[in-house]
Amino acid sequence: MIRRLFHATKRALGYASPGRNFEVFEDDIFLVSFPKSGNTWTRFLIANLLHPETQVNFGNIDRLIPESEGLTRRELQRVPRPRIMKSHQYFDPRFRKVIYIVRDPRDVAVSQFHFFRKRRRIADDFPIEQFVTRFVAGDTSDYGSWGDNVSSWLVTRQNSPQFLLLRYEDLVNRTEAELARVAEFLGMRGSPEHVANAVKRSSADEMRKLEGANATASVTRNTRQDIPFVRSAGSGGWKNSLPESCIAELETAWAPLMKWLGYEPVLVQRPGAGVPVEVV
Amino acid sequence: MVTRYLIVGVKRAFGLQPPGKRLSVLPDDILLASYPKSGNTWIRFLIANLVYHDREVGFGNLHKLILDPDGTPQRDFIRAQKPRVIKTHGPFDPRFRRVICVVRDPRDVAVSQYHYLRKVRRIGDDCPIGRFVDRFLEGDLARRPGSWGENVGSWLATRHGRPGFLLLRYEDVLADTAHELTRVATFGGFPANLERIAQAVERSSADKMRENEKKQGERSTLIKGSRQDIAFVRSAKSGGWRNDLPEAEVARIEAKWADVMACLGYELVTRSAHSVLDSSLIGMLAGRSGAADKPRAGVFSASLSERVQTP
Repeated sequence: MIRRLFHATKRALGYASPGRNFEVFEDDIFLVSFPKSGNTWTRFLIANLLHPETQVNFGNIDRLIPESEGLTRRELQRVPRPRIMKSHQYFDPRFRKVIYIVRDPRDVAVSQFHFFRKRRRIADDFPIEQFVTRFVAGDTSDYGSWGDNVSSWLVTRQNSPQFLLLRYEDLVNRTEAELARVAEFLGMRGSPEHVANAVKRSSADEMRKLEGANATASVTRNTRQDIPFVRSAGSGGWKNSLPESCIAELETAWAPLMKWLGYEPVLVQRPGAGVPVEVV
Repeated sequence: MVTRYLIVGVKRAFGLQPPGKRLSVLPDDILLASYPKSGNTWIRFLIANLVYHDREVGFGNLHKLILDPDGTPQRDFIRAQKPRVIKTHGPFDPRFRRVICVVRDPRDVAVSQYHYLRKVRRIGDDCPIGRFVDRFLEGDLARRPGSWGENVGSWLATRHGRPGFLLLRYEDVLADTAHELTRVATFGGFPANLERIAQAVERSSADKMRENEKKQGERSTLIKGSRQDIAFVRSAKSGGWRNDLPEAEVARIEAKWADVMACLGYELVTRSAHSVLDSSLIGMLAGRSGAADKPRAGVFSASLSERVQTP
């Protein structure tokens, strides 16, 4: 009871994080993705685009593009408008303007596996097969499974002019062209040099350097320092590191969605084939 | 401002405040999800009359039997019989393992919502239907549920065909109430036999609900303080849009949500369902549960997927 009163008081004074219940404004812009899909990198790109005069690093990124759930109500009210905020949330109808980043779930699974080791949520000898089963079931995050998260946004918003879909793979392969799309979506007139400069300042090498210089920043605080946060920064790593059974499990769960996004399944062509269907 | 937060905080500490989005979900909770004006209240009457067959169910106590996170105090959530049945108009929420999703033809939802918003004085009697449909299509009338297409689409895309998801079409519940309520009972593990089902159906009839609305409506969190000259329990029918909705508005609704409507087996009158499904993401996701490569109309409709799945 005392504890609940204490929390109630904290909430009343605005010192608690409202979590998913925070107040959304009409002009908010959200950078949304499932975890481990390139959100931090995209935040760096956008922050470097918006603040050419500031060196964006792991220490100030949470101020420049804060995570909506990481702030208290007071802090949220103080973010300059229009707010550009990061989120991992599954579909939220209150979000009007959304940049959604999607990444091949086979790479996301590998990335989250290493991230969980870094965060000490699993040991080094934790079998990846077991991890992938939990990943497919949606037990590795509070934001639904990868398929839940992605399809909840795509089905609801794919045709909206207020929705920009970015594939992490395209961002890796043609960063400047994709960042130019982001700039246009945000209504910025970024010159090619301006965009190129933001890309340079957000490169994987640059980010690794910054990570090293600021090892206690929020994304990496209290985590294992022998596993980096900025890892491969590439795509397709799953082909070398993911056992076949894991690939099959991921593709069985999400093949239609993966195909739609251009992530060609290699083991499962027609999910559900062989499952009897009643036709009336 | 701070005072208001403190009052709410103290009420919350004593369990008198509805939990809202802070609700903690239990593994066996059953979520009754639907877009507003899709038959949620009727289905709640049906379930409450089935589960609490020895009690009188009415607008006055409905929110204590089938819980409403925005209307039922927290302490009733703690006291409630398990498994709890919880009502929502919200879109997809991954915290719930068992979900009953009620859908209704959006053309009828539009007509129903138009009358409801007049009842609760959100729009005037002179609001042109065209302007109402503008806002209905954008989801401006209900920001938390989103638009009809967003709300229904988010559930279907993420949960249909998976264990722990039961899809009910309002139209099917109207056509064969006992049969659909039996599916609900099987899904929820509610003790039921023919007699109890029949009794619950009879006690939840539109006439009984109208009678009860007159007696207890003012005690309901849903309709307290609303206009008395417009009834909450209105026609209790399907297909009213054919008479009440101008064709231009029908066309706009179909233009926006043809793919979701086609998946649910709602006949389109201004375009072809097949061409719509071929190119849509939800049609492709629907293909998952089908043996054919091409998605078919009605792949999501309840009448086609008789398999009642429980976790």
